[in-house]
Amino acid sequence: MKLKITIPKDKKHTETVTCVAWSSADEVISTGDDHKILKWNLVTGESFPLSTLPADVFPTDMSILPSQSKAGKNSSDVFVITSSDGKFHLFSNAGRIEKSVEAHKGAVLSGKWSKDGSALLTAGEDGQIKIWSRSGMLRSTLAQLPCCIYSVVWSPESDNVLYTNGKQLVIKPLQPSAKPLTWKAHDGIVLKVDWNSVNNLILSGGEDCKYKIWDSYGRPLYSSAIHDYPITSVSWSPDGNLFTVGSFNMLRLCDRSGWSHGLEKPTTGSVFNVAWSMDGTQVAAACADGHVMLAHCIEKRLEWCEFEVTLTGRKTIEVRNVVNDAHETLELRDRVIKMSLAFKHLVVVTSSQCLVYSTNNFNTPAIFDPRDGNISFIQQCEKHFLIVDHVGLYIYSYEGRQICSPKLPGGVRGSSLSIRTVSLSPDVLAVRDVKNDHSVMLYDANSGKLLGDGAPVVHTMEILTVHLSQCGPMSDRFLAIIDKNHDLYLTPVRKTSSNHRLPKLASMVQSLKWNSNVNILCGLRDMKLLVWFYPRALFLDKDILPQTLHERECSEFGKNPELCDFNENTVIVRRADGSICSISNMPYPAMLHRLVAADKWNEAVRLCRFAKLKSLWACLASMTLKEKDLATAEIAYAAIGEVDKVEYLKHIKSIPSKEVRTAEITLLSGSVNEAEAILIQGGFIYRAIQLNLDLFHWERALELAVKHKTHVDTVLGYRQVYLNQIHKQETSNKFKQYSKGVEINWQNIESKIEMELEKE
Amino acid sequence: MISEDILEKAGLHFDEVNKLRVLKPDTNQQTSELKEECHEFVSKIDQFQKLVGSFIEMTDTIAKDVENEKMKAIGSRNMLKSIAKQRESQQQQLKALIAEKKTQLERLNVQHQSLRKQEAEQVEFIDQFSTS
Repeated sequence: MKLKITIPKDKKHTETVTCVAWSSADEVISTGDDHKILKWNLVTGESFPLSTLPADVFPTDMSILPSQSKAGKNSSDVFVITSSDGKFHLFSNAGRIEKSVEAHKGAVLSGKWSKDGSALLTAGEDGQIKIWSRSGMLRSTLAQLPCCIYSVVWSPESDNVLYTNGKQLVIKPLQPSAKPLTWKAHDGIVLKVDWNSVNNLILSGGEDCKYKIWDSYGRPLYSSAIHDYPITSVSWSPDGNLFTVGSFNMLRLCDRSGWSHGLEKPTTGSVFNVAWSMDGTQVAAACADGHVMLAHCIEKRLEWCEFEVTLTGRKTIEVRNVVNDAHETLELRDRVIKMSLAFKHLVVVTSSQCLVYSTNNFNTPAIFDPRDGNISFIQQCEKHFLIVDHVGLYIYSYEGRQICSPKLPGGVRGSSLSIRTVSLSPDVLAVRDVKNDHSVMLYDANSGKLLGDGAPVVHTMEILTVHLSQCGPMSDRFLAIIDKNHDLYLTPVRKTSSNHRLPKLASMVQSLKWNSNVNILCGLRDMKLLVWFYPRALFLDKDILPQTLHERECSEFGKNPELCDFNENTVIVRRADGSICSISNMPYPAMLHRLVAADKWNEAVRLCRFAKLKSLWACLASMTLKEKDLATAEIAYAAIGEVDKVEYLKHIKSIPSKEVRTAEITLLSGSVNEAEAILIQGGFIYRAIQLNLDLFHWERALELAVKHKTHVDTVLGYRQVYLNQIHKQETSNKFKQYSKGVEINWQNIESKIEMELEKE
Repeated sequence: MISEDILEKAGLHFDEVNKLRVLKPDTNQQTSELKEECHEFVSKIDQFQKLVGSFIEMTDTIAKDVENEKMKAIGSRNMLKSIAKQRESQQQQLKALIAEKKTQLERLNVQHQSLRKQEAEQVEFIDQFSTS
């Protein structure tokens, strides 16, 4: 990916341009030391003067009221320009000064609207940070420092403020009692900061000629090499995947992990300000020599199976089939905003249309009009795809028909979602709750309604990543979650019991991905690639789960790698420096999955015998438990040397009744409650009681016995034997109460048990 | 002769063609000669002045040209000096771009290596079948 720069031939500003901002998708406002405010139309490439500032006003920063706050309120659009005479000026969209407010002593260096547009933040040479109301009334003075504050930004939720303090960065909560977080960020004075609302990362650039990335706790994530000149501007793209860095005669496009996508060296002097368009495809830059530089991102590349898709120009996409070297050039009417390639379909969103191409035929796309041009991201699954724009979520079929539009609770907007916190599968859509990051909402992907009773999956920790398994029927749908501690949890989408703590699959997992063809899960743990061939074994047989895990040492990944794709048998990983590594995976597990899905047990056993892999046998063993195929289960467990389980399977096989067998297999998976429920449903009360007795669940056994008025004496008898063995007195009141009225006669009990077994 | 003397006393003379003259004929002749010579002198001086004038003009233009050339020379000398600097900055820019390309190459190399490795693994896998 790189930036394609267009610099207008003649300078429209006669002096240094100090600030630029986007007023709409195709309009830029710029102003500079020549006191002119210009408006640029990018479609026609023309500029016209909007207004002129008074001769003593030298602008320093500009901020446009966020568009989302305008809806509903019938006020004219407002942008604010801060100036060197200590004032800020509110402008109407037509360019008229609505109000000028005396704000600081000395110059105001930075001014920013909050995300909801309700407050304005200013910082100045006098070291003060002030918060103003929408109409320009002073609300509070947040900080008072002995030095200039060069840059200040709001946190994603607008509850914190980040500002520069010499070489340090400070996060100051708006609550007066909370302590600010301060850390030394650069070796020189920090000149610019930016905080992205989607990925919650902080970007800073300073006079030490470096730019750095921090997380919201001030921990360093990336530090660039030393540049030739101080970094004068940094800016995140709205979706948080890219950022730009400006310096003298330099504009750099970087990935969110810090490595550089492309470097441009225009001879325009220092780049004082960079602004991204709302759709994240275009950049405007204010240059010291009076130019306003415009650039857009091109050469974005996508790969899927044998297809390579490259955005070669603003409106041209090139498709290449690597296998037969067939080329295809797609010419579009408008600028491409987003594209996505997966599951045999290429989805392209332009500024006015959405086009869906099938990889079989690139000539006739399905075309429809999206709701909003400001698209955050596209996510595809086998049957349909999801478009998230700034307003909401929409699921479309590949024919271009809108299937549904799930409603986010509490008026949450789509712009606060990221591709990590949303996961689409053929029948379920999982969205991490924006307001409560401990829970995940599940929607039916076909109706857009909440799944089941609508209760979210709740976790005890902050959830970072969600991903749904992609294949099989709804009963195979599992949700994988990574929380703040980087622990990986797995839960079925169909809840079996409520209020259950999520079962943990692994810890220290940085990134995860389900295979798009079979339900295999892979994850990254420092320097290791983990592949769970059958993650469901967690719910079937926990003991052999470690055996179904394939670990692969991958020291070549370096630090902080990221899983990009897991398709067929190839895992694609992107290293922290941006290089892409692909790793092939064993094809056997996928084959095994397919055979089992087709009920071909003999072939499955043959495959395992051929491959001679313990992990494969372990997979097969847990698969047989799920499908309740006892014969194959015996073979599989024998192969991995689980003698006790083979014995137990033999015992199960000897049971004549089908329900009891089912219950026993369920018991083998460790779900006692379910097994008991099956037994009671089938009318095997004695078995259910016996099950609880075996597990020393005395009270439950007694409860069942009393409820069904049978085997009360059995329970009491066994309890007595147990107490005698451990030399203890009866302590349970319930048992004391019932033992009074019941006489224990072992002959009676044994004959009763025999009778029960006869009955089966 | 006496009459001539009388005339002479009265300041009157006869010339060769016996015309009455106030001046002596030889003085007259000398005067006219002087007059002629004066004329000649004046015209010569005139000519000289013209010549000198054009000469001055010429020197002036030459001086101007020389001055121009001198400025040009100084300018180009300065240009020459600055070009070295310009080249340096250009070189720096190109170096930065080269470094950028190099990191990109490095990235692609890593990808290539991983693909090669994957290919080798797959070939090995296929070989397993052909041998068994």
